[in-house]
Amino acid sequence: MSVLFELKNVVKGFVKGKEKISIFEDLNMTIEEGDFVAIMGPSGSGKTTLLNMLGGVDQPTGGEVWFDGERIDSLSEGNLAKWRANNVGFIFQFYNLMPMLNAARNVELPLLLTKLSGKQRKKNVETALTLVELADRAKHMPSEMSGGQQQRVAIARAIVSDPKLLLCDEPTGDLDRATADEILRMLQLLNQKFNKTIVMVTHDPAAAKYAKRTIHLDKGEFVEEELVA
Amino acid sequence: MKDLFLVFKNLTRKPLRLFLTMFATFVAFLIYGTLTTFEDAIDAGVELSADDRLVVVNKINFTQPLPISYVNRVEALSNITGVTHLNWFGGYYQDPQQQVITFAADPESFLTVYNELLLSDEERTAWLQNRQGLIVGEALADQYGWKVGDRIPLNSNIFSQADGSSAWEFDVVGVFTGTDEQANTAATYFHYDYFNETQTFGRDYIGFMGVRTSDPQLNEQVIKSIDDMFANTPFETETVPEKTFNKAFIEQIGNLSLILGAVVFAAFFIILVIVGNSMVLAVRERTGEIGVLKTLGFRSERIFVMVLAESLLLAIASGALGLFVTSLVVNILNSIPQLPVMVLSTDIILQAFGIMVLLGLITGIIPAVNALRLNIITALSRQ
Amino acid sequence: MFGLFSQIGTVIVMNIRSLPQRLWMSLAAVLAVSVVVAVLLSFLSMSNGFASTLDGTGSDSVAIVTRSGSQSELNSVISRDSVNIVSTAPGIATTTDGQPFYSAELYVVVDGIKKSSGTEVNIPMRGISRTGFELRDKVEIVEGRVFEPGTNELIVGQGVLGQFDGFDLGQEVTFGKTRWSVVGVFSTGGSAFESELWADARMVQDLFNRGNSFQTMRIRLAEPGNVDGIREMIENDPRLILDVDTESDYFATQGEALQGIVFFGWGISIVMGLGALAGALNTMYTSVASRSAEIATLRAIGFSNLSAFFGTLSESILLSLVGGVVGALVSYLFMDGLTTATMGPGFTQVVFTFELSPALFQNGIMLALLIGLVGGFFPAWRAARLPVITAFQKAT
Ligand SMILES: Nc1ncnc2c1ncn2[C@@H]1O[C@H](COP(=O)(O)OP(=O)(O)OP(=O)(O)O)[C@@H](O)[C@H]1O
Ligand SMILES: [Mg+2]
Repeated sequence: MSVLFELKNVVKGFVKGKEKISIFEDLNMTIEEGDFVAIMGPSGSGKTTLLNMLGGVDQPTGGEVWFDGERIDSLSEGNLAKWRANNVGFIFQFYNLMPMLNAARNVELPLLLTKLSGKQRKKNVETALTLVELADRAKHMPSEMSGGQQQRVAIARAIVSDPKLLLCDEPTGDLDRATADEILRMLQLLNQKFNKTIVMVTHDPAAAKYAKRTIHLDKGEFVEEELVA
Repeated sequence: MKDLFLVFKNLTRKPLRLFLTMFATFVAFLIYGTLTTFEDAIDAGVELSADDRLVVVNKINFTQPLPISYVNRVEALSNITGVTHLNWFGGYYQDPQQQVITFAADPESFLTVYNELLLSDEERTAWLQNRQGLIVGEALADQYGWKVGDRIPLNSNIFSQADGSSAWEFDVVGVFTGTDEQANTAATYFHYDYFNETQTFGRDYIGFMGVRTSDPQLNEQVIKSIDDMFANTPFETETVPEKTFNKAFIEQIGNLSLILGAVVFAAFFIILVIVGNSMVLAVRERTGEIGVLKTLGFRSERIFVMVLAESLLLAIASGALGLFVTSLVVNILNSIPQLPVMVLSTDIILQAFGIMVLLGLITGIIPAVNALRLNIITALSRQ
Repeated sequence: MFGLFSQIGTVIVMNIRSLPQRLWMSLAAVLAVSVVVAVLLSFLSMSNGFASTLDGTGSDSVAIVTRSGSQSELNSVISRDSVNIVSTAPGIATTTDGQPFYSAELYVVVDGIKKSSGTEVNIPMRGISRTGFELRDKVEIVEGRVFEPGTNELIVGQGVLGQFDGFDLGQEVTFGKTRWSVVGVFSTGGSAFESELWADARMVQDLFNRGNSFQTMRIRLAEPGNVDGIREMIENDPRLILDVDTESDYFATQGEALQGIVFFGWGISIVMGLGALAGALNTMYTSVASRSAEIATLRAIGFSNLSAFFGTLSESILLSLVGGVVGALVSYLFMDGLTTATMGPGFTQVVFTFELSPALFQNGIMLALLIGLVGGFFPAWRAARLPVITAFQKAT
């Protein structure tokens, strides 16, 4: 398998007023194409920060982030946006659907960034919604759906433009066990059947079990890396 | 534009707020449309005045008379194509409060010098032949229901007849219209001869003269030759282009355009503040969503344009509605004969659309820049 | 027992404390209301100033006789004979030397240049005699002297001096062929007479070819307000086609000429007020929305929904009141005392001063209050009906 992500000597800190917070001092890691990585660790350990850097939403203070042979940490804002649109799908803890758009319209959003015709967009949206088993809810507004359903819409939105990479920040953090399992099975399916590379931040060890491997973060260091069979 | 749907959905997500903001904008454009149209109508008296027409009045003041002998003397001058004379009658119909703009005129020369008044050939002949004939403007005819063949009395609050009566009897022989939509047709004209022979306050005086020159370029020259001719007589004259005269006449009331302009400005200032604020607020509430859009790969510039499009759409939709209602209001106001004829002109409409665009840009620019600058991480953590 | 008033007080304090968070929105509402009130008061003070100038012109102890149906001094004509006949009517006061106390006057229009626009305007010129001065209560020469009868001298009202060019003291003025010199400035206590030029009646008759006729007759009444004797005489004498009125009645009707401005002012302010109302509603709905968690929490603790209602309503009224006062002050600072001239009912310029009276001020504040009341009522209603459960829900 080829390497999809490579983090080289990544340094990341925040300046808060006069105080400097250092989160990562020398982070190195690789993620291969088709991997499903769970990132765990205590609150404040930098999980979200790491995910943001992977997604090109946040930039490291030092070091390099490579994606598929392209260095992304030095891209301009506009190019990063284009890169995200082409390569990354995001799934958030609180779904972050547009409240004024129905399910189909929400899923369609990333396609607005492509050159696809309206007809084609419609078709792709249908496919994505079918995949998350929500084809019958296409016309429903987010407020008319349960948390699990909303998260499935969010997954559909993440995969509709067929990105290589899915980044999930506590995708099941707001859901009950059964619903969470349903979502996680879906992610697993996407990983196994559609070869999506998935990086998922979670607090839930049960959730981490769905991943191929788990990275533990503590005080900006990898503490341990375990492979799940 | 694919994002238009998104813009529209953003705009309409809070219907109550949308309604209130649109209403405020609508009100401002209603005020703008109505007042500007009104001002335009007042200015029409100036705009429609003929460039090649002069007004000759008594130098002391235009309410002072001139001797009728002056008419022939002016006619004898060169570069003049027509001279006519008019007397203000101080007319009213039945009730002194119902003033009717009435002039005693010399029909033949009057119709050549003021050729923007349109009469049919029959009406024209009828007027010339009937000494008690009165021609009535369309607006007045509509107001009082006068028609050709009616015999009506008009009173004067200045003049009286030998028997002490202030009422004159007239035959309505024609209803005139104007060549221009905004022409004043709320006036009546009758024979000077009839007036001169029946009134008792000193005959053979005229109020003022209307003079047509052969070329506007020669106006200055003609003005000089008229005023010089009567210099050092008991009745010195002051000759001015009709446009100047009409303008000064309106200026007597005061600086109307300043007052109207101030009101329009105040109205726009109010909505600028209201709409600007609610746009800022609306976009701030969407901080998280904008963050999500940016995460999905929407470029900041694109979101900037979306916010601006939203405020533009708001301004144009409510402004257009304001103009539409203006056109209804103008129709109603036009049924009041005392007011000048109001026309919602293309110029005003275009100008209004210009203001809408400007307003949309101004009210949208701050939230749009906010959205442009919005950092994804802060946006996502601030929800 | 936690009384309703202290509950409401608590909510009001809470609202006011949180105002800075909604600073811009609140300022927008205040500003909108203040502009509306300023516009209203500017128009009202304009027409009020005009009306009080004309009201102040008419005296109750002076009667004015004009040609019947003339409607304005300018259009009136009275022959010397008529003047003589009327002067014998009962009810006329007598001068110290036993003569009937009246003044036969001329009223003609001459050109002046308005300073503000530089255009020619109609200035009234009154032909008057010394009795005319004595007959009016408040005539006073403030500069120079009175014209000498039988000469081409004239005196100008204070208002003319301020608004029109060409009539400064010592200046020569030409009307037609004759030259006149300005020898004095007079005041009449702010009435419309101050917009006039005064000269010797006989000289004015000559200049304007009036022979021996006049335009109006002013009569000092033996008994203020009582013109019955004169009226009876006029009605019974077929030679007299005249009207008589007390001067105050005559000018009171003329002062209504700017009544249209009052309607216009109210009309435009109400329409603009609707716009401002939309702004106020927006502000208050936003205020309720942003405080919904707090309101619901207080309700959960046991505050009544009335307190939520009145708390919100008072915030709205407070904001509008501030706006109203600011608008009134702006209008007072910029409009009150502003002197200008317009075409009066006599087809001549009347100089007048904007006058913002306490009654008008009240009008402005009432309008502001109304906007605050309506603009606060509906959002307050929403606040009162906010489900308590909102307090326990995550704010999204
Ligand atoms: N924009 C920022 N400015 C300053 N400090 C920040 C910023 N974002 C994150 N931090 C800090 O960086 C550290 C890591 O934050 P991060 O959000 O990555 O933690 P996390 O592991 O995702 O925690 P949680 O499990 O609670 O989500 C925290 O100490 C946080 O306070
Ligand atoms: Mg986190």
